[in-house]
Amino acid sequence: MLRMEPMRTRALLEQPESGMGYQIVEVVTADFKTKRGVVYNAELLLFEEEPRTMLKTASFASLLAESKSSQDEIRSLRVLPRTTASQLVEAVREPAASYGRKTGPAKDTLPEQTKEGEVFKRFSFFADDRRILPDGSLRLGTYGTTEKDAQNVRTGKEAVARYALPDPRPASNRFTIEPHKDTVVQCGVVEPAFDQPGGGIEVLFANGTQPKTVTGRDKIRDE
Amino acid sequence: MRIKLDKKWIARLVRLPESGMGYQRVDLRLKDGREVKDVAVFNAEELDLADEFARIGIKDVRLHSN
Repeated sequence: MLRMEPMRTRALLEQPESGMGYQIVEVVTADFKTKRGVVYNAELLLFEEEPRTMLKTASFASLLAESKSSQDEIRSLRVLPRTTASQLVEAVREPAASYGRKTGPAKDTLPEQTKEGEVFKRFSFFADDRRILPDGSLRLGTYGTTEKDAQNVRTGKEAVARYALPDPRPASNRFTIEPHKDTVVQCGVVEPAFDQPGGGIEVLFANGTQPKTVTGRDKIRDE
Repeated sequence: MRIKLDKKWIARLVRLPESGMGYQRVDLRLKDGREVKDVAVFNAEELDLADEFARIGIKDVRLHSN
């Protein structure tokens, strides 16, 4: 996390935003590493790998005050054009509303029932995912996605982007869920959150699933 | 600062629904009486807290409601 020096803030203010209140940037650091991140309000830079939750738990002013100045840390900085920035989140390759014309989050949709043989996936940073019980069932209130939507996700970082996960660490552990016919699910579209675009399909297993319905895990690439 | 919740909070959270894939949004009550609202907990066990809160200790954890 770095505080932009006034010169960089002025330069950033002359360039377009990537979204409301932020710019996605590429930075060359003092030790010649190229890194990407998000600059908020043209003032505060959080690198891609840094957690975003501190933005919620501390005031913007206090984060700025605590941050080190970018002066000796950054050699160059550029705002990524929209097309390049979107490659950061290239998981978004399928139109958001392509599944059942759902447009809101799953929790706000009407319950429906799964069909025979329907398959779902779940991505997690954790290999020992606590939502999966030892008997191979999902706990109630657990989220997954459709098998089709999961095909858009090739890496753990893409899962973070597509499902707008607050934990920026790659969700590279993939589990397969094969619930019994008529299992209750709610299907919706992941809304943008945590500086991630969302857009993937989310499936809420409000009542969980039956024993021996979750298998895996298989590991996909981190990035 | 990333912290790991005590077992009793983990045991509570795993019985409660998720807010999205792999996480729950919670409100924390700290031991000094302050509240920290809408914090994401990953896998019912890990969360990021500002240093000033993380050192105090947690008195209660509840799901965040909008």
